[in-house]
Amino acid sequence: MIDHYDWAGGREAMLRFGPDTCPVVVAALPLFEEANRTRAFVVTILRALAERGIAGALPDLPGQGESLAPTDTVRLAHLRDAFAAATRHVGGPAYALGIRSGALLDATATLGGRWHFTPSTGADLLRELERLRQAGGGDAYGGNHLSPVLLGELPTAGIAALSRTIYLESDARPADRHVPGAPLWRRSEPDNNPALAASLAEDIAAWVRACES
Amino acid sequence: MQREGFAKVEETVRGVLRDVLGLSTERAAAFHEDTPLFGALPELDSLAVAGVLTEIEDRLGILIEDDEVDGEMLESFGALTRFAAAKALA
Repeated sequence: MIDHYDWAGGREAMLRFGPDTCPVVVAALPLFEEANRTRAFVVTILRALAERGIAGALPDLPGQGESLAPTDTVRLAHLRDAFAAATRHVGGPAYALGIRSGALLDATATLGGRWHFTPSTGADLLRELERLRQAGGGDAYGGNHLSPVLLGELPTAGIAALSRTIYLESDARPADRHVPGAPLWRRSEPDNNPALAASLAEDIAAWVRACES
Repeated sequence: MQREGFAKVEETVRGVLRDVLGLSTERAAAFHEDTPLFGALPELDSLAVAGVLTEIEDRLGILIEDDEVDGEMLESFGALTRFAAAKALA
């Protein structure tokens, strides 16, 4: 179902999945172009969680999805404030599901825990954005015009400690677990991987239950 | 040892092209030294190049500077593999 939440900058839409109970897993998509490439995958994970009896929510953050906020006005602090407001709206306890640069957005929210899949730091994201801008040959970053304030915030934008971290097997960075699969966020045509989504939903469900007990 | 390392880099580059460009395993497996890439693979546009390079960096733990990226290194599967191997095995 489609819900809405209010934050200091306005009202945004939020998809809700599963039972009308706590706890709720609130997902943060990666920023910019990667959000389009991972949306179907994250929705598949949230539906799989719902089948396991765990509620989920996918808020549109400012500049994402149906949001009316122009991307070139969005700052990191806005995104974090909006995500925190979304987690308050669903009622506690909320757990964050962050994928790629979405893991940057849960830092200021009050949460029961954070679960991150292939998290990327602000510095990683900035490097990729700069490469996209050069590939495009203009001022836009992969088709998005971005605020200089946001670009200035990225080098020091970190990920909250004490999160459960999952990487792909092809990634050598240390993690709580490595899983087989291809990086959907790199594909120019959006794709999905229902088997991986089901396996990650299983991991999230077990982790939420362990946190709650 | 060095030859083993080179074969590993080659498989990594093959896997990156398959995953980023969405190629079938069969198609990626058929890539050889002289298979032309940039300008020959319709999937490999300039934005896809950015994804390929970043993914190669992540999987091999290397850094590719922007001034190192030119048409020559993207000309063929062999050229891209040699470029990546020169960095990864240095």
